[in-house]
Amino acid sequence: MTTALILLLLAVGAYLVAVIEAWTMNGRWQLAAPITAGIALLGRESIVPRKPDRVFFEVAPVLLLISALLAATVLPLTPGLIITDLATGVLFINAALVYVLVALLMAGWGPNGAYAMIGGWRFLGQLIAYAMLIVMPVTAVAMRAESLLTTQIVTSQADLWNILYQPLGFVLFFVAAMALAFLPPFDLTTATSELAGGVEAEYSGVRLAVFRLGRLVLVITLAATIVVFYLGGWQGPWLPPWAWSAIKILAVTALMLLAGPALPRVREADLLSLCWKLGIPLALLNIFVVGLQVLVWP
Amino acid sequence: MAMISAQTFFISFFGLAAVWFGIVVFRTHSMMRSALALLFSQTAIGAMFIGMQAEFLGVLQIMMMATEMSIMAIFMVMFMMDPGGLGKMDMTHQKRRSVITGLVAFLAIVAVALFTNWGTLAGSVPDSAQQIEDLGLELMGRSMLIFETAGLTLLTAMIAATAVAVEPLKRNRN
Repeated sequence: MTTALILLLLAVGAYLVAVIEAWTMNGRWQLAAPITAGIALLGRESIVPRKPDRVFFEVAPVLLLISALLAATVLPLTPGLIITDLATGVLFINAALVYVLVALLMAGWGPNGAYAMIGGWRFLGQLIAYAMLIVMPVTAVAMRAESLLTTQIVTSQADLWNILYQPLGFVLFFVAAMALAFLPPFDLTTATSELAGGVEAEYSGVRLAVFRLGRLVLVITLAATIVVFYLGGWQGPWLPPWAWSAIKILAVTALMLLAGPALPRVREADLLSLCWKLGIPLALLNIFVVGLQVLVWP
Repeated sequence: MAMISAQTFFISFFGLAAVWFGIVVFRTHSMMRSALALLFSQTAIGAMFIGMQAEFLGVLQIMMMATEMSIMAIFMVMFMMDPGGLGKMDMTHQKRRSVITGLVAFLAIVAVALFTNWGTLAGSVPDSAQQIEDLGLELMGRSMLIFETAGLTLLTAMIAATAVAVEPLKRNRN
């Protein structure tokens, strides 16, 4: 029952992400656009390129969707609304999200196309760097909660949300989440203007529909992760817990999508040196500072 | 007929999957397929750990291997002459010696598994949250020196490797 409800909510979430994304791009609220675009994709022929690696080509879009869904299983939307409250919840989110990388490598290699392959390998460099900025801020979050349970992480923020307790961690995690979901300005993987869609370039029809759905679910899952880790999850005054979760997740989604159109796409080399030379030292500093805070204000 | 418990079934299932993907590693000529087959072999081992109620170890294995094998994939593609496996390159060599070595290693591992005195089996396993806490105390207590030394050694090796790769070698071509 909970699983069905959360799947339904993720579907609604994915729809809303698509609506917000269109709004950030062209400034108009096109409420029917995601549905008509989806139907159009399903109606089109799904072309298989010449000499593909068929297994990878077929598996990649499905694996992308599955990884995003798996990460969502350990995120609590209200105190009771969680599919499974794993003792290793925080680690499990990372484990699920790393398979986004595997999916995109498959999508890059599978279709036997130059643009797709460049997109796939670009994402490899991007994710290996930015996965560090996912894991290290999360370490600091778990340090404060003294637990890897996601519900415990939410309740640990009852007095003060993590965005105020560890603002540096929040900024790093937010940037890393955008890089992981290859949202602009970090969309080097798909880069419409230089790679003609990158990993998406050779996909069409139903396979492209699954790929895009996977990406939308990934965005909403990452927004929910940010809310659980840094914005106090379901907590808030007056409104019921589910409403707070919904409001916060949608606000974070909008923020993640709004940054894109305003900024130019970052160069691959700049993106990587930004992470390795600035992001990771800052993430280490964040762990150190939070460690001191935990000792001083238990 | 004795009933097979769900736990035994899952452990066996993922065990067989791990072996099968291990075989696929050497059956394919594509470097990508080979690397990702190894990944799924390792993922299946992670699933076996979860089946054996070692949740932390299982999830950690599943997480670490995805990045590691992806990195291996790009190195294999970079360094092999025929990464797609579409040409005539053969990945196998020294077949007779490999078969003998493999068999000897397999028999040795089976012998170790069968003839070791494993002591008494634990009657019950602490729950996952307790396991994580125990593991944390172990890593921060008795085993700290070992793990920190290992970590520092690896870091030094990585920095040294990068330094060697970055600094252009001035070869004396006489």
